[in-house]
Amino acid sequence: MTWPAIRTILDGAVVTAALAAVSIVFSLPLGLLLALLRAGRIPVVTGLLAAFVSLVRATPFVTLVLFVFFILPAAGLELEPVPAAIVALTLNTAAFSSEIWRSALLTFPRDQLEAATAFGMSKRATFIRIVFPQIWRANLGPLVSEVTILLKCTPAVAVIGVVEITRAAGRVGAETYEPLPPFLVATLIYTALIATLVRGQRVVERRIARRFGLVRP
Amino acid sequence: MNGLLVVWESRDVFLWGAANTLSLVLGCLLLSIPVGILGAVVLTEAPAPLRRLFGEVVDLLRCVPFLLLAYVVYYGLPELGLRLDPWWAGLMSLTVYTTAYLAEIFRAAFLAVAPDNIEAAHAFGLSRSLIYRRIILPQVAITAAPVIGNQVITTIRDSALLMIITVQELTFAANFVSANHFTPFAPFAAAVGLYLLMSFVVEAGVRRMERVRKVRYG
Amino acid sequence: MAETDAAISVRGLCKDFDGFEVLRDIDLDLAPGTTTCILGPSGSGKSTFLRCLNWLEQPSAGSIRIDGKPIGRSGDGRAAKPMARRELAATRTSIAMVFQHFALWPHLTVLGNVTEAPVQVLGRPKREAEEEGRAILARVGLTEKADVYPHTLSGGQKQRVAISRALAMRPKVILFDEPTSALDPEMVGEVLCVIRELAREGLTMVVVTHEMSFAREVADTIVFMDGGRIREVAAPTDFFTNPQSDRARRFIFRN
Repeated sequence: MTWPAIRTILDGAVVTAALAAVSIVFSLPLGLLLALLRAGRIPVVTGLLAAFVSLVRATPFVTLVLFVFFILPAAGLELEPVPAAIVALTLNTAAFSSEIWRSALLTFPRDQLEAATAFGMSKRATFIRIVFPQIWRANLGPLVSEVTILLKCTPAVAVIGVVEITRAAGRVGAETYEPLPPFLVATLIYTALIATLVRGQRVVERRIARRFGLVRP
Repeated sequence: MNGLLVVWESRDVFLWGAANTLSLVLGCLLLSIPVGILGAVVLTEAPAPLRRLFGEVVDLLRCVPFLLLAYVVYYGLPELGLRLDPWWAGLMSLTVYTTAYLAEIFRAAFLAVAPDNIEAAHAFGLSRSLIYRRIILPQVAITAAPVIGNQVITTIRDSALLMIITVQELTFAANFVSANHFTPFAPFAAAVGLYLLMSFVVEAGVRRMERVRKVRYG
Repeated sequence: MAETDAAISVRGLCKDFDGFEVLRDIDLDLAPGTTTCILGPSGSGKSTFLRCLNWLEQPSAGSIRIDGKPIGRSGDGRAAKPMARRELAATRTSIAMVFQHFALWPHLTVLGNVTEAPVQVLGRPKREAEEEGRAILARVGLTEKADVYPHTLSGGQKQRVAISRALAMRPKVILFDEPTSALDPEMVGEVLCVIRELAREGLTMVVVTHEMSFAREVADTIVFMDGGRIREVAAPTDFFTNPQSDRARRFIFRN
């Protein structure tokens, strides 16, 4: 493979990283919001959110991407491939991460909440000062693994024409009539990115466990 | 209304797509469950160097996005002189990928079997293979059912990516119908509905195992 | 004692869980500056009663006044309305609580646990709260532990931190919910020692406990509960030497 070909794929890698970063920034807080709304037990809302989460969990990510890309324009919302990809990635990761947040909220030790109540802390203060600082640390592992799952999902946005790693590799392959080498290079880049995240996750998890003695139930 | 009509008129396309998705997933499970179990045995029992090598391979495979594996298999096999049509290439990549995940799932499940009841099996003179067949696997089938169920749903989701290497599975069908009739909503909604149905079936299976677990293990 | 002079005044308190009566018609007045030990067999409702005092459990009927101010419901009798959440929270700041399983916040250091509520809820300046927190920790013998995280402490140390956390609120009343039940036997002593010291200083405390000899030594008043009712209220010497009811007699001899 030539250097310009590799450059094309590396440019794609920048796009992949940017897509992943933007989607994570949107989706983790959105997932937390979904979990909090579901915990709120508002009759209709809770049911709708539960249905949304199971729908997204059952739908293949490519299908979701195509759905978002083709449906939203029909609803009068014209979306370029990149924003459409971000919307799809965000919906997907928000739904999955909301399950992590939800189980963290459900298993949060009751006695700590009671202690906060007994000391006169409001619900808001209890969440901000006591609950959130613990659940994000205790669930950093699963949350980071959502990031790796998100990265593994990103190749699917190639179908709507976003030129990230996979599509870039496809282009190189189409130009050289040798598809295998660029896809091998692309695979190598993904594997390196994801393996680094996985390693990093283990280190961080160990450190947090050592410092706070936090363990997930 | 028009969209629903389109879906109804293209029902053979959808059925063909769903049949391909199901046959891919079932074929994949039929192959990857036994191989995954064998892999997990290697991961727990093999001598240290082999175990570590195997573990590294499984870990690395789990870092690869499925679509890339599918591309590499699809374009790589002809280089090795093996020409497969997309369905078979898809089955092969789906099986390799799922096996890596299942091996890790079974390894964790083996470790979770209480050591004392394996010791008891040894004490009664059961052979290794008997211990796996009669003591460990029946327990694992029950305790690991939820995780295995999740993996099956993930495999169904992954199979949709095979549309990109032109396997005519369910998402391919939805995309095909939507492109030919210029009505995006109904075809994709129909596909999502069918996927939802498949995941309900898997979840019902898991719930059934959960009931067995409750009865036997309390 | 007049209702208004009491540190804690309870009238007609009832509590049921799904139709099952746990507390029945409890009336009680506790004088300021005294230590009250609540004794009784398990299931007698003593922990539930304690948790009603700061409204962690909502009574089904009855009223509670802490230092003359109502908690949970404002107004009296039929006119009583549930308190606004904010008002309830403010009222709770004058009643501190020590839990059976410590309930420390694991993401905060020992000092952080002690200063969290004074700073966040009472709005005290952080520096001042920290100075006071360190002084309190010194009193319970934990000077060197101020900056470590709770998971490194022994059970006895954790409970002493929990007591410090309560003291830092400068509460009118401290409630102890079986403070030594979750401890290994060799750590019970250090915690009781701290509580004994506080009793001597004249704090108002209510202690649910199984430690009979401790109750006998420290309490000004013994409240004996059984079957969701208060069966006896007496000075410790009277209670232990001359219990009035059969139930109390049996309870004392069994323990």
